[in-house]
Amino acid sequence: MVTETRRAEVLPWITTAARIVLAAILFWAGWAKVTEPPALQKQAVEAYQLLPASLTGLVGYGLPVLEIVLAVLLLVGFATRFVAIISAVLMAVFIGGIASAWARGLSIDCGCFGGGGAVAKGQTKYLSEIIRDVVFLALAVWIARFPRSRASVDGLLGI
Amino acid sequence: MSKATRDRTAREKLAEERRLQAQRDKQKRMLGAVGAAAAVIVVVVGVFVFVNSNRDKAEDFVGALAPTSRASDGSIVMAKAGVTSPVLEVFEDFQCPACKNLEKTSGNTFKQLAADGKAKVVYRPFRLFQQTPLKENSERAANAALCAPGDNWVPFHDKIYAEQPPEGKVGFSNSDLISWAAGLSTPITGDAFTQCVNGAEKSAQVQAMTDYALKVGKVESTPTVKLDGKDITNDAFVPSDLKKAVADAG
Repeated sequence: MVTETRRAEVLPWITTAARIVLAAILFWAGWAKVTEPPALQKQAVEAYQLLPASLTGLVGYGLPVLEIVLAVLLLVGFATRFVAIISAVLMAVFIGGIASAWARGLSIDCGCFGGGGAVAKGQTKYLSEIIRDVVFLALAVWIARFPRSRASVDGLLGI
Repeated sequence: MSKATRDRTAREKLAEERRLQAQRDKQKRMLGAVGAAAAVIVVVVGVFVFVNSNRDKAEDFVGALAPTSRASDGSIVMAKAGVTSPVLEVFEDFQCPACKNLEKTSGNTFKQLAADGKAKVVYRPFRLFQQTPLKENSERAANAALCAPGDNWVPFHDKIYAEQPPEGKVGFSNSDLISWAAGLSTPITGDAFTQCVNGAEKSAQVQAMTDYALKVGKVESTPTVKLDGKDITNDAFVPSDLKKAVADAG
């Protein structure tokens, strides 16, 4: 029983920490992109050669601000499980996109934290980019699995 | 059934009812929060996408191009007679996708600013790329652009961008460059041009322009746009911001 109580006390704090870390990462990633010229945000998406031209603009402009909004929602802890699930899906999409670029032999920067586009052969960092995103995915999955946390709007609302 | 038992059952029922009600309320609040979060995401992202996709829309170019000529250092000056400032310099590499994007987004705005006498535009193409095959593509395109006459240069410049090969692919072959020049509305033809392209006759000047961009211009990436020497590349990608920067400088 003692361990059960301890678990119930500690888990929400772990989720709070995960929320803050994931929020910081998402905010940083979104901010780095959103402050670049719109045409370059689009170009980072085009470099993956996955989407039709009609969609690259939508993703190029929309993705950075989506990351920022998710970051803010995670930070305040509102609709935590829902937001964590979206974040997890987003990370899974990123991992898939990078893996696909790698598999097709493209030489691009993932553009995860701004930049993006082609790089010289041998300058790619696909493996480390994927490992990094898997860690972020794990954070999101943790939050989705244990959404109750301290210092959250959800807590105030009694959710 | 005794009265005591009946009472207890009734109390239990009531408690159970309350518990269920609390659970339903909690569920309602949770759904409300999810709905609110989803709405925030959709609205903020939607508004932002809408605003941005308008911001980087290319403008129309109306009228005739301002006169263009080649300066001794190989750069192309596009300005109305007598307009000497502000100076809007475009450092670019024909193989660079961001340069193509700049051209697509703001190319017409550069032309309009020059045609309206609001700025002196200087194109400074050079070879940024150092790795094969990009380097060779850049080199051939920059050489051909230097072979083209200064007074009929801009249409060729635009055509080269329109034909930019995907990164990592070999492109800008000399024979293509020659046939694109011949296909312009005012064609660029003749043995001198053909020989200049095929013989890479301007390669020394391509190198000189590259040195100028990197060492004098301190250009680190392409495109770099400078307004009276100040880097305004981020503004240049948004036509309205570009016009405002020029107006403020003038």
